[in-house]
This record gives sequence, structure tokens and C-alpha cells, in this order.
Amino acid sequence: MKFIIDRFDGKKNYQQTYTVEKKDIEALTLLGTLLFIKQHQDITLNFTASCRMAICGACGVRVNGHSYLGCDTKMTELFEAYKDADTFRISPLANYTVISDLAVDWEPAIENLRKIKPGLVAKDKFSEKEGCVQNQEEYDRIVKQWDCVLCGCCASECNKLSADRSDYMEPFVYTQAWRVANDSRSKDPMIHVKPAVLNGLWNCVHCHECSNRCPKHISSADDIAGLRALAMKKGLNSGVGPAHAKSFYTDLVEDSGRLNEIRLALRTEGVSTALRAGTAITLMRAGKMNPLEIFGGHTIEGHKDLVKMIEAAKAANKE
Amino acid sequence: MQNEFAFFPGCVLTQAAIEAKMSLEAIAPILGIKLKEINGWSCCGASQAQDVDPVATLVANARNLALAEQMKLPVLTTCSTCLLMLRRAKAQLDHGEKERINTFLAKGNMNYKGTSEVTSLLWVLAQNADLIKSKVKKPLTGLKVAVFYGCHSVRPEKDLGFESSVNPTSFETVVKALGAEVVPFAKRLDCCGFHAVYPAEKSVMKMTSSIVNSAAESQADCVVTPCPLCQMQLDIYQDDAQDTTKSKTRVPVLHLSQLVGLALGVSAKKLGLDYNVIDANKLG
Repeated sequence: MKFIIDRFDGKKNYQQTYTVEKKDIEALTLLGTLLFIKQHQDITLNFTASCRMAICGACGVRVNGHSYLGCDTKMTELFEAYKDADTFRISPLANYTVISDLAVDWEPAIENLRKIKPGLVAKDKFSEKEGCVQNQEEYDRIVKQWDCVLCGCCASECNKLSADRSDYMEPFVYTQAWRVANDSRSKDPMIHVKPAVLNGLWNCVHCHECSNRCPKHISSADDIAGLRALAMKKGLNSGVGPAHAKSFYTDLVEDSGRLNEIRLALRTEGVSTALRAGTAITLMRAGKMNPLEIFGGHTIEGHKDLVKMIEAAKAANKE
Repeated sequence: MQNEFAFFPGCVLTQAAIEAKMSLEAIAPILGIKLKEINGWSCCGASQAQDVDPVATLVANARNLALAEQMKLPVLTTCSTCLLMLRRAKAQLDHGEKERINTFLAKGNMNYKGTSEVTSLLWVLAQNADLIKSKVKKPLTGLKVAVFYGCHSVRPEKDLGFESSVNPTSFETVVKALGAEVVPFAKRLDCCGFHAVYPAEKSVMKMTSSIVNSAAESQADCVVTPCPLCQMQLDIYQDDAQDTTKSKTRVPVLHLSQLVGLALGVSAKKLGLDYNVIDANKLG
């Protein structure tokens, strides 16, 4: 079978094809296969790897355009996912600058990590003498996010980063912000939430590639939603992103129970909605939007009960 | 074949994607599918409301699922985001949240049991590809189709679970059953950006444009998607997106139900092709 591997020698990109016997690699991991090729066919092939136990996150690469942690991926899994394909394309993680072959530059991502202050800033009540402890329940709340091994698989497939990484950060950065903001020992969650908001928190496109590709089954998409909810709760709720999210909630709870698309634009962007007049006219011409909807739609059957249910949930949350 | 469903249209089908509802209602009887709309269904939160209040969003969807349970039918939706929201809610409820959320539903004399599954039009069609093939009156021979799954049809795989998220095949199975040709399409699993069109407009327009251009490079006659939100993004914002990247390329974008309708011999009018912003009538 064939492995087409993306190469980069510092000046030019090219692809190199390696042919291996399936029997030699079918019991191996993806990282094992890369090591096999390096050991038996091409000592010049570069990639990064370290622990081989899915602890360090060093060996993330792409297979057929999807990221995998090399040491955590059995070749049999790839054979199954790609229906016994006899050719695989191996590439470096996307959304990173390539240094050499499959090795990428992590420094910009680490710079982003620094922005959200991933270290714990403990509450004043803790001291060197008394320690800085939390109970089991408090620990369980954040233990999943502690599993992040900074492999970069989430960032590699992130559609927002691919479109423009100047106003967004790697999904794992938001996960780390969520983890430390929700740590019971943390002095103030906003130390971490605020820089997340200022660095693109509301620009996530909801593609769920991050949660889909995480080898540790962490959902950065959910952590992003959690950070947003925390930001709103703490009063950091101005701007288009929060207004857009609030308009769905308002329609659900305070209005008819269903989304009102005309009000959505007004509530999200206010008077600057006029900028979208061209699109609105196009939609009205196509008969896809009824301007009279601005006065509200038909309230759903049982809406009063829905509100009661939500109010009960809110009350319980405050207890 | 399960042919009767509690239908969850989602807000978009009653407003900006009216043609998706028209075409669905046109093809369902031909395929023997009975759709009974859930009385009193609410917005699923649309992958937005959880940013304000995640528990309220879960309560709303628990109620939606409980309403379907009262009908003793599985839920079917054509909106991929509704599909994701409902399936995630069901997973949360079935794995620990049922008891707590039921205390809130009780305020409206409702109770979630967990008896109704949630499926999509795409999945039902893929599971019954032979039946569809037998109903084709006008095979779409020669029509080159770029299939665009849309994120919430396949991701996250743990919540959707119908097929591989890195190598899905359901959509191709359906389109081939209609007699059309599926073209290689590099962006078939990409995100159209719909959910961030307000806060991240520039990025989203770039994403939309690259999808349209990729389909055109594949010589596709049209892009087809099972998700009405993706259809909206790729269709109504196509002019804006292409202006942003100075591309003159335009490609019609059909709902899955419209493509099925064409093969079943339903008229362009009944499929609502007039409502598509990028001219799709030439396909009818």
C-alpha cells in the first residue's frame, strides 16, 4: 500500500510516495507506521513524537485531511474509516506554519495560550501553610479539560482558523481558559474569560471539528459556549455575538417560542442592520421573508408552560 | 421502513427556507412518508441559545422530545442544526439529566421518558435508497452534483453517530440513487459559516466563497445540501460572498428535498425552485 507524504525542506513543498507491505504495518499505530517508514525507507523524513502513550500530544498529523494523534490511532481504525483504502495521504497539521515535513511551529499557539493566563491565580484565602485544595466534586468539574495534551488536532481542523486566524485562537486555548476559569480555587474567572472574549471567543463558527477530532474527547466547542455563558453572566455581554445569541433566547422565552428572523437581524445589529438591506430586499423579492413578521409571529401552543419550565430551571440554578 | 414520523420543521422551514418545506411536502407522499408536525414545538436554540442559558435550552428540547413521545413516534427533522440540538439533548437526558430536567418539565405537566429516537431526512433516505430508486421517474442522468453535507449532519460524530464523520457516504448513496453524478468536491465536509455570519462576517464570506468556487472547479451543475441553514448561507449570501472575493462564479444551491423531487418528477413550481436566490430553475 502507498503513503503519500507532504514534504517541506525549508524552501519547497513536494510530495513523496512510500510503498509498504500492509502486513508490516497493520498491527502498528499511525506513529508506528511513520517510524517504520523512517527506519526502513527514508531517514530524512521529519516528524515530531515523544511519549508514544497519548500523554504528550507531540505526534499530531493529518490523514486524508483529518487530524489524528499518531500514537493514539491504530492503523486498523484508519483501514475501517477509509474503507480499506490502499493509499493514504499524510500531511502536517493544518493552520500551523510548517517547519519541516510533518513538523510544525507551535510558538504562535503558545503565545495565544499565554494570553488567557492558563496558570491558576488562587483565591486570597489560600496560603502556603493551609494549601490550595478543592473537594472531589470541584475537581470532577474540570478534570476532563485537564486531559488536554496540546496535540493541536482541534486547531488543525478549525474552519475559523483556516478562514482567518488573525481574530481567533486555537480551540484548545479556549478549553484551557474554561478549565482555569471554572476551577473552584480560581480568584476571578474573568482573568481568563476577558482575554478569551477579546481574542475571538464569539467568532467560533460552530463547525464542531474541534470536538470531533480531539483524541481525548474534549469538546472545545462546548467550552467556548460555556465561556460565553459565563461572560454574559458576569456582564461582559456587549457586541454583535452576545446580541445574536440573546435574540434566540429572547424569541424562545419572551416572545413566540420560535425564532423571528426579521427581529433577529434588528436585535443582533440594531440600526446598522440597514447595511444588510440588500440581502433583505433580495429575500423579500424571492418571497422568502415576510416584512409583517416584524410585528411578531404566532405564539406556540403551550408557551406559557414552557416559560414555567424554564423559570423553574433558573430558580433551581440560583439555589 | 419506518414511514410515520413526528415532524420537527425547525424555525427556518417556516420562514426563510419555505421552499424546503414545500419540496419536502411534495416528495413525502410519493415516498410513502407520513409527517405529523409536532404541535407546539419550540425553537431548538439553534446552536445559539445555549450561550445564554444551557439549562433552559436543554429544558426546551426535552419538552420538544416529550411532545413527540406523546405522539408515540420517532422525530424527523430536515434541519441539521435542529438534528444536532435534539440528539445532544436526548443524549444528555438519557445519560444522567433526565430526572433533574423532568422536575422542571413537571411544571407544565410533562415528562420525558426517552422513547422517541431522532433522525433526519438524509438518514431515512439513505436507509431506503432502493425504495427511492424505484420511485424515480426522471433519472437525473448527466446532472453533476457537488454534495455538501454541512457540519451538523456529521459532527460531532459521538452525538450524530449515523456514519463516519471523516468519510461519510449517506448523501452520495442518495444522490446516486436518483441517477445523478456525484463530482469530486474538496469542500464537501467544510463549514459554510452560517452560525457566525454576524460576528465573523468576513471569515464566513470567505468560507462560503471557497465552497462555491470549489464546486465550480469540480464542474458541478449545482451544490446540494441536506441542511436548510447551509442552503441559506450558500444561496442567499452567495452574491455577497463572491463579491467579497471578486469571483464571478455562481452555482445554484438546492435543498436535498428539491433534488429528490426533481428525480421523482415533481414540478419546479411545487419544489419552490422560484424561491432559490441563485437561479435554480434551469435544473427543473
